[in-house]
Amino acid sequence: MADVLSVGVNLEAFSQAISAIQALRSSVSRVFDCLKDGMRNKETLEGREKAFIAHFQDNLHSVNRDLNELERLSNLVGKPSENHPLHNSGLLSLDPVQDKTPLYSQLLQAYKWSNKLQYHAGLASGLLNQQSLKRSANQMGVSAKRRPKAQPTTLVLPPQYVDDVISRIDRMFPEMSIHLSRPNGTSAMLLVTLGKVLKVIVVMRSLFIDRTIVKGYNEDVHTEDGKLDIWSKSNYQVFQKVTDHATTALLHYQLPQMPDVVVRSFMTWLRSYIKLFQAPCQRCGKFLQDGLPPTWRDFRTLEAFHDTCRQ
Amino acid sequence: MGVTCVSQMPVAEGKSVQQTVELLTRKLEMLGAEKQGTFCVDCETYHTAASTLGSQGQAGKLMYVMHNSEHPLSCFALFENGPCLIADTNFDVLMVKLKGFFQSAKASKIETRGTRYQYCDFLVKVGTVTMGPSARGISVEVEYGPCVVASDCWSLLLEFLQSFLGSHTPGAPAVFANRHDAVYSPADTMVQYMELFNKIRKQQQVPVAGIR
Repeated sequence: MADVLSVGVNLEAFSQAISAIQALRSSVSRVFDCLKDGMRNKETLEGREKAFIAHFQDNLHSVNRDLNELERLSNLVGKPSENHPLHNSGLLSLDPVQDKTPLYSQLLQAYKWSNKLQYHAGLASGLLNQQSLKRSANQMGVSAKRRPKAQPTTLVLPPQYVDDVISRIDRMFPEMSIHLSRPNGTSAMLLVTLGKVLKVIVVMRSLFIDRTIVKGYNEDVHTEDGKLDIWSKSNYQVFQKVTDHATTALLHYQLPQMPDVVVRSFMTWLRSYIKLFQAPCQRCGKFLQDGLPPTWRDFRTLEAFHDTCRQ
Repeated sequence: MGVTCVSQMPVAEGKSVQQTVELLTRKLEMLGAEKQGTFCVDCETYHTAASTLGSQGQAGKLMYVMHNSEHPLSCFALFENGPCLIADTNFDVLMVKLKGFFQSAKASKIETRGTRYQYCDFLVKVGTVTMGPSARGISVEVEYGPCVVASDCWSLLLEFLQSFLGSHTPGAPAVFANRHDAVYSPADTMVQYMELFNKIRKQQQVPVAGIR
């Protein structure tokens, strides 16, 4: 658990630099003390002034010396390695109060646990698929053997593969454009623009979809510094509702062994929203219910329903 | 800026403008809309000055300078069938300097003032159109924020309009037909208001003493 800063740091120079800082602090406080005390009592005015100026100069010289020493040491100390494998979460380990807020250790445990869970689920699904309840089990068994097990752990996929899958899906639908970026580490963030209707921000974890936020076409999806804003909700109630439905959809479309099929089905479902404002509800025939258009899209048939009209 | 539809509500039989506005606002409140302040849209007319007309004697064009409280830092200048300019509020000062080219038409200022209501993602503004001291009509503006393409959501807007305007629901505004799949802009709203004001100006041609 102890996160050692990498060997780029010269620890001895580091401790010397800390004592140099202390020396610098004391010499600076001596300067101010000298100013505060003012001139000492001597016989003549000139004598007093000379003594004061000499004392003041001495103190300033010692400050200068200590500062130079500190600069020299700080150049020796070096920088901790920048390609920290855990990026922002690794910075949590710098919090010194470990017993009150054991965030970092808990984070590592949760991460290891979820990885193990994913691995076990993959193994279990492989075994269960062999013992299929359907009569036509032979077909499944044959195709499973034929398909090469290219990704034993689908959690750790090379980013190039993810890029390829996404660009293939991008070309599938003409009215939907997907822009991929990786501003925070290796997880991809997609900005999907659907016609002139809406924009969706999809946060992924290798090829699994983690979260989505749906916003209007005219809403700004970037924060003030120009980065993709993945937290703020839409200003419109209809898009807040669609965000909830999208979250339900990404929980619905689950297939641990074939995540690219999952992403494809999710995008197909999302594409049905191109007619968000034009399609009436299939059940009640009206456009508006409580001021909202039909925001629900059935997972199999992609028909439009009001949230209160479904099923 | 979402798709907006501006229409006129005819005054109910045997009632005054004020009472009709009150009827409308009560219907809106029953629907569940919340009051959210007031709004004001005004319009001034300018003629192109005679000195700038060509030798063929073409008719002077009318220019309208409008303000909308929804966009408080902007000023809209538009010709009847022509382009619409969106400038900042210093444009009014500029018009004073352009007195040689554009002259203000007398007693032409027309404005609509009223309350704003918010219902789900709809913004409804019911206002009394006044020219000088007299109330001339009622303007109803409905904006649907989330949608920016006019042709997409007309059916949706129509259904909403029917729910509180009943039989007085208007037809699709002309600007919707012109802008297929183009993103809706505030200039389109101002064009609709300009057409509404012109219609109201023509309606009551009877000159009442003291107003003209």
